[in-house]
Amino acid sequence: MRLHEYEAKGVFKKDGIPVAEGKVAFSSKEAVEIAKKIVLPVVIKAQVLVGGRGRAGGVKFARNLKEVEEITSKMLEVDIKGYKIEGVLIEKKLNIQKELYLGVTIEGSAGKPVVIVSSEGGVEIEETARNYPQKIFSLPVDVFKGLRPYEALLLAKKLGLKGKKLLKVGDILYKLGNLYRDYDALIAEINPLVVTKEGEIFAADAVLQVDDSSLFRHPELRAKAIERIPDELEREAKKVGVTYVNLDGDIGLICSGAGLGMATMDMIRKEATPANFLETGGGMTKELMAGALRVIMKKKNIRAVFINVYGGINPIHEGAKGIVEVIKEDKIKVPIVAKALGNRQEETWGILEEGGVKVVKESRTSKAVEELFKALREKE
Amino acid sequence: MAILVDENTRVIVQGMTGRVGSRQTRLMLDYGTKIVAGVTPGKGGERVYEVPVYDSVKEAKEKHHIDASVVFVPARFVKDSCFEAIDAGIRLIVLVTEHTPVYDAMQIKAYSKANETMVIGPTTPGIISPAEKIKIGILPGNMFCPGNIGLISRSGTLTYEIAANLCDEGIGQSSAVGMGADPVVCTNLVDLLKLFDEDNQTKVVAIVGEVGGTEEEIAAQFIKEKMSKPVVAYIAGRSVPPGKRMGHAGAIVERGRGSAESKMEALREAKVKVAEMPQEIAQLVKEALNKI
Repeated sequence: MRLHEYEAKGVFKKDGIPVAEGKVAFSSKEAVEIAKKIVLPVVIKAQVLVGGRGRAGGVKFARNLKEVEEITSKMLEVDIKGYKIEGVLIEKKLNIQKELYLGVTIEGSAGKPVVIVSSEGGVEIEETARNYPQKIFSLPVDVFKGLRPYEALLLAKKLGLKGKKLLKVGDILYKLGNLYRDYDALIAEINPLVVTKEGEIFAADAVLQVDDSSLFRHPELRAKAIERIPDELEREAKKVGVTYVNLDGDIGLICSGAGLGMATMDMIRKEATPANFLETGGGMTKELMAGALRVIMKKKNIRAVFINVYGGINPIHEGAKGIVEVIKEDKIKVPIVAKALGNRQEETWGILEEGGVKVVKESRTSKAVEELFKALREKE
Repeated sequence: MAILVDENTRVIVQGMTGRVGSRQTRLMLDYGTKIVAGVTPGKGGERVYEVPVYDSVKEAKEKHHIDASVVFVPARFVKDSCFEAIDAGIRLIVLVTEHTPVYDAMQIKAYSKANETMVIGPTTPGIISPAEKIKIGILPGNMFCPGNIGLISRSGTLTYEIAANLCDEGIGQSSAVGMGADPVVCTNLVDLLKLFDEDNQTKVVAIVGEVGGTEEEIAAQFIKEKMSKPVVAYIAGRSVPPGKRMGHAGAIVERGRGSAESKMEALREAKVKVAEMPQEIAQLVKEALNKI
């Protein structure tokens, strides 16, 4: 779950990381009221859960209240890369002298958090990694000891800082390391960390992405997690209890297991295009499968549905009942091809065939996909 | 032989009394796994399919010889269950539970390494060695058959599919292991490649990878420099759009890393035969076997 910039800044501020003076607004009227209390000029930043908003016109400066009003009302009406702008953050414009990068993320194979700093702030860290790899410094963190203040200081020193600024940036980095652990973050990032001409230091942007699996430890975030999913069908699927990713094709897909789902997508691409990726996880029930099929069928252009499930941990015969129920109740007319193997497979086949599903009793998904292509050709 | 487990391996089930734990205990017993005890705090003294249940791993350890534990407890209890098993001296843990917090997985990884314990997972379907009649985890036994292919997979159900394809072609497995597909897994691909390379029964190793992370790229380096046995591979997710998380928390192409192409290229450079589609694995394995 990714927090909005203003929410992340709230967390940063609470934990002692200095952020620029400002507040979030959800209407242009509110924006003007906030700007009145801040010394002009101000920066207006779209609160949207996608990267690269600066280039997409999501960051603007306003010299007076009229501009604040105009820019905000315009911004609240548009999307950025298909993501809705939820609000705008009004902040005092900083007199930038220098921009730095501070971040903490996971080094997956090592299984440790890694702290990354760079003197090249304000651009994406991946870009710096490509262009100036010598300007990036990183340090793996021990998961029990955590990032220590001395480690943070030594890393900050690599940015060429001295004296008070060195202490300040070291302290911010140390706090970012703590916050990363305390909030079960996957990414905690300040880009840029601004050193102003007046010699002050502020987090000018804030990214905090929290591990969804940890939300039981963060009840205040858990409540918001589902509403936060931008795609309507993905949100609905989450409520059903399955993982759904909206794609641009017209073949509905239900798979148990992500690897199998991806492999199935790869195969379908030969002659058709998946409308979605859908993974049931290991908690299959009749209701879950019924809900999954209903979410898929919400797209109007679905030409066929392909089901590929294994009965290892999942009771596929129960899942089959859910599928058949929806076919009947919702009068589904498009062809449904299924491959279902594992525990209680014969029973599962019986239920599906009874309900009008074309069942492929083969161990190869590729053979079942051939059946799907055949069904599509017959339809035409 | 097989890797990690054999017919004499004694197993306990942590979370045995739960819905999934008890059902999977039944399936493991039916397959031939020697399950000696279960652990569920507060349920000490009960029995599940005649197997005694204890309140703690320590108490089970006092009564039984134990080589391995399989963990089915809910995600919020995973860290404690793994620490408990490690502290009780169990040196192989199969962690099946889905949705374990990443920070917990990182701590389990660090603690297990410091204590010379191998933890497979989280989110692993487990390990199976058909000739030894043992499976630890949730893999359906009827999809696997005895033979000399070492199968390593980051996916669960795709492992079943490929094993079944291999069996249809008369190619069995020495052992099959699911690594789990979370952003952090406690046992890396390279660790498992090493074990298969040293295993007498294994002649060819098949890797089933997927998008996300850098496990396959790191493994490619190892294969190039150190591995003596032939390796074949398939990488799922070539049609995955960047930035989308495909079910597995780890299955995401992001920040320019983890694409199927990058993995396939790294593996090919290490002289690994890479299948375009999963059904081609059997053919590549056959060719590799013929060359030995």
